Amino acid sequence: MKQIAGLPIDRIDGRAKVTGAAKYTADTDIPGVLHGVLVLSTIARGKITSIDTGRAKSAPGVVDVFTHLNTPRLTLLPFFPYTRGFIPMQDEIINHDGQPVAIVVAQTLEQAQYASTLVDVRYSQEVPKAVLGQVAGTEYVPDPALGEPNEFTRGDVTSAAADVKIDANYSSPTHHHNPIETSASLAVWQDGKLTAYETAQGIQFSRGVLAYSLGVQPTDVRVRTAYLGGGFGSKSVVLPHTLLTAAIARVLGQPLKVVLTRAAMYTSTGHRSEFRQRVALGATKDGKLTSLIQTTTQQASRTDEVTYNPTRSARMLYAVPNLQVRQQVAALDRPGAGFTRSPETAAHFGLETAMDELAYAVGVDPLELRLRNYAEVDPETRQPFTSRYLRDCYRMAANAFGWSRRSMKPGSTRDGQEFIGWGMATEAHSSLAFPSSALVQMNVDGTVLAQSSTQEIGTGTLTVMTQAVAEIMGTTVDAVTFQLGDSDLPAASWSAASATVKSVVAALDKAGKAVRDNVIKLAVADARSPLSGLAVDQVEAEHGHLFATGDRSRRDSYLDVMSRHGNVVATTAQTPSTPGYTTGAVFVEVRIDPRSGRVRVTRAVGAYDPGRVMNRKTARSQVIGGITWGIGFALMEQTVVDQRTARIVNPNLSGYLIPVNADVPDIQALFVDKPDPGSPALGARGFGEVPITGVPAAIGNAVFHATGRRIRDLPITQDKLL
Amino acid sequence: MKDFAYTRARSVAEAVSSQGKFVSGGTDLLNLMKDGVESHDLIVDINGLPLRGIAVSGPVLSIGALARMSDVASHPLVRQSFPVLSEALLDSASPQIRNMAAVGGNLLQRTRCGYFRDIASPCNKRVPGSGCPALDGENRGHAIFGGGDQCIAVHPSDLAVSLLALDASVRTSKRVVRLDDFYLTDPVRETVLEPGELITAIEVPVGRFTSRYLKLRDRATFEFAVVSVAAALDLRGRRVCDARLTFGGVAPRPWRSTAAEDALRGKDLSAATIAAAASAAVRGAVPRQHNGFKVELVQRAIKALLTDLGSVR
Amino acid sequence: MPSRRTVLQAGGATVVTALGPPGPAAAEAPAREIALKVNGEVHKVAVEPRVTLLDALRERMNLTGAKKGCDRGECGACTVLADGRRIKSCLTLAVMREGEEITTIEGLASGDRLHPVQEAFIRQDAFQCGMCTPGQIMSAVAVIQEGHAGSPDEIREWMSGNLCRCACYPNIVAAVRDAAR
Repeated sequence: MKQIAGLPIDRIDGRAKVTGAAKYTADTDIPGVLHGVLVLSTIARGKITSIDTGRAKSAPGVVDVFTHLNTPRLTLLPFFPYTRGFIPMQDEIINHDGQPVAIVVAQTLEQAQYASTLVDVRYSQEVPKAVLGQVAGTEYVPDPALGEPNEFTRGDVTSAAADVKIDANYSSPTHHHNPIETSASLAVWQDGKLTAYETAQGIQFSRGVLAYSLGVQPTDVRVRTAYLGGGFGSKSVVLPHTLLTAAIARVLGQPLKVVLTRAAMYTSTGHRSEFRQRVALGATKDGKLTSLIQTTTQQASRTDEVTYNPTRSARMLYAVPNLQVRQQVAALDRPGAGFTRSPETAAHFGLETAMDELAYAVGVDPLELRLRNYAEVDPETRQPFTSRYLRDCYRMAANAFGWSRRSMKPGSTRDGQEFIGWGMATEAHSSLAFPSSALVQMNVDGTVLAQSSTQEIGTGTLTVMTQAVAEIMGTTVDAVTFQLGDSDLPAASWSAASATVKSVVAALDKAGKAVRDNVIKLAVADARSPLSGLAVDQVEAEHGHLFATGDRSRRDSYLDVMSRHGNVVATTAQTPSTPGYTTGAVFVEVRIDPRSGRVRVTRAVGAYDPGRVMNRKTARSQVIGGITWGIGFALMEQTVVDQRTARIVNPNLSGYLIPVNADVPDIQALFVDKPDPGSPALGARGFGEVPITGVPAAIGNAVFHATGRRIRDLPITQDKLL
Repeated sequence: MKDFAYTRARSVAEAVSSQGKFVSGGTDLLNLMKDGVESHDLIVDINGLPLRGIAVSGPVLSIGALARMSDVASHPLVRQSFPVLSEALLDSASPQIRNMAAVGGNLLQRTRCGYFRDIASPCNKRVPGSGCPALDGENRGHAIFGGGDQCIAVHPSDLAVSLLALDASVRTSKRVVRLDDFYLTDPVRETVLEPGELITAIEVPVGRFTSRYLKLRDRATFEFAVVSVAAALDLRGRRVCDARLTFGGVAPRPWRSTAAEDALRGKDLSAATIAAAASAAVRGAVPRQHNGFKVELVQRAIKALLTDLGSVR
Repeated sequence: MPSRRTVLQAGGATVVTALGPPGPAAAEAPAREIALKVNGEVHKVAVEPRVTLLDALRERMNLTGAKKGCDRGECGACTVLADGRRIKSCLTLAVMREGEEITTIEGLASGDRLHPVQEAFIRQDAFQCGMCTPGQIMSAVAVIQEGHAGSPDEIREWMSGNLCRCACYPNIVAAVRDAAR
């Protein structure tokens, strides 16, 4: 088998994306499409007492205005994680600020935007709870929603002996995903069937939820997402406007397009919850962990209580005999939270900062401390990992960074005025696989068509799947066409949870091998083939040619075999869900100007063990993206909520800061790149969410190294270092 | 946004008599209209007016009100003689916005206070008498100087801070006003401009000032100031013959501290002098719940800027 | 009608022809037909004065390459060139841009031959989801033309008006350097 997966080929969709030819959801050209604009509630808790749409309806170009009084009734799919807990515009109840209360439909976007300002909504208002600080004492452990309990214990933390103890509280604010593409829905009904152009990270789920909520058959719903302009979790559940757009388009009998404004994204798509945590470590005097307690609190809403930010790192990262993890929520009158890129990061920040504090408490290098607590086996199952090269990650990244030259003492490194700090952290995230299916078909001209209804969210799915199919089939990348983004294709799952590669490649591998073997069977059974008479396992495929093993002069080609055969050969295969866990290590350098307190990240090196790397070019880009998200998490990102109104003060990209180009240094990405024999996907594991996880702690640890100041409340803005 | 009539003015006289809202770059006006903060029946496009020249005539650098931020920032005269101006402009907004926005309009941009920009919030600037949620609310970005109990929003223009340091004036369709007198701290009436009055030029006295701008913010660039300082010093050797120190991100208008200037004037620029100026600058500051750090940050900024400017060891 | 640039070059002596006399204040103005020159081609479109250049391109001309990421000038995804200078098309009215040469991402390649910046973006993997990419590329073309591609730090600063949430920044810097060579 010639290696094709892993090669750093350019993106297959590169040309479409650099020419503007790639059509994203809001770009879809539907003649006669009407424009819908949401009216959002301006209170966080209460009821609508009256809603006057008269002026809006009489504004130029307005087709109709929908409120809870005349919007079709939709059925809520009652379980996580498909929808957001309730469907708005079904009654007068307001559960959070920015909840849709009306949709104005007009001929043009500008007409709909203006008329939306004319809808007069009156409320009766109750005092909302806006932030966790206001609900201290109401925390509780909710029923598990993700198939895992919210409380775990291992051993007994109460009786664990410890020479050294660390016990500290850490916190981080609400974060928003802020994909550059805002969510959009475009609904077209024809003959009782719906085509929904969606910004969906899971088009099959969108299809299922739309069908259920609208009361139609799933086969009457087709969901298409040609390209996603980023998602980061904001497009993983089926958002209310998707259901409302489809329902209203059906009533109107005309296609309808609703594109969320940037401001609406701050109240519509979920968010990374405000997060508070306590981490208590016990250790021997040489730094061997004896106990770990981590208690986390995140936000619930009035309609859901899911712990979106799990504490898996505490359970999985280190060999610690006594463990107690408790995941709590406290209810706020805020939109429900949601998955946000690398949800394990919030809790991971506390753990990996506490580990640095422990390193200083026992006087052991932070990297050495982690090696002393290295988990040789899965701490949960006590079984060996199918593959684990975290130690290699530590070594590779430390060497590339020059960690051994670090002086342990805080504040000991200066460059002119600037303080320099070096920090590190382990990186880790679960990497699941979801049940998936794929079709592989060899055409009569020897080219290959592969299909799966996964999504191209920007991670390079189209490219790496094409490479994977080429490798599985023993043909060239040029000979493969991979199709995705259409729910009529074989079912696949979310572009989420770092699951796509492992899920879809596994299905492609299963289907592709069957097709390859069937084509080889055609060849060896055909007297006209030079391979005639060989056993199937005596034939290899490479670059579209078939060879007798050990005698490459006996050769045939897919083109010749298939043109003689005259019919396509196709197989659809399914693969089940599997768990997974991927690790790495990150080292960062910060520089701090003591005159302003501002922290700059000037160097970052990450090394990862994602099993086999599927495309070294796109994988490196995911590392860069992840580390940059970590920089934002550590230094600037925060959604500011007014404590009196539970309304967001900075729902925009000038007030909610995400890193700009000048915030990001050169980033070095290293890979162990050894296949995981436990992976059904050519030895690859998912890893896209790994590279953020350790960065906030690594930066905080570097800030401590630079200044001796331990900042436990993110983001580390300059006011905290004055 | 509500639709409006649109016309292009062919002369200053026509613009002034139009009774419409002037648009040059439109980079703030459009946002204000999109957010429903402002609404206008008639928009008068003044971009065709001959107000783009940048030239020194006699003792004054005259910058046409319609000159674009990027053109002013890169103009050789400005870069050589008024570095504070060029630096403040290059620290503003993004390259695209700097290509669009005119300097006259820049002086009139409105505060970025989140409560002001959200029409569902009370705001004394937008709806006089409705209240100011920032006073006891999310006020990390708000004023520590010059705000009263009505409004503590800060003026967002970097350019205005630098021009104030240079003792610039605004030439309008009817008069010349020193920038010192141009801005008000009233939440509603932000400048002395009267209805229909059009800024035609900015006039900067040519002096022997050494000048510099320092802007501090939470990310590397493309952000409004958390705190900024502009300094224009008339230095003879180490001696400060004259000084102007102005600040952004701290007051409802571009802020000037004459007390800090007094602490510098006539003194040798030493660490002690600088420290005295820094503490004089923040005397009378009124910090709120979340912006107390600005009191310290302004002083740090002054020290950093003056230390660099005077090469003080 | 002269472009803004010719007005500027003439030292302000030329006055742009006004579209009409100032009218009375009106709450509603009917859509009017304007001629916008985009990618070398004149498009006649009916727009109300309130229509932004971005919405005119996207909703009236089906030129959807320029993206709407914020509609407030805060992300840069809508960046286009106007008379060769980069601007954010969400913050300008279409009626204000009559008489100018607008270039969008769709107008950058010559037939099948990509612009060197487009090629460099592919080669350096300077995008992931691609949503900010048209704006990044238009800015990158301008950065090189402006002479702001002299060093990585200079590129970082002058490319910072374009947000990339997938965060391909180091690759964008590499692509600009690559194309500037």
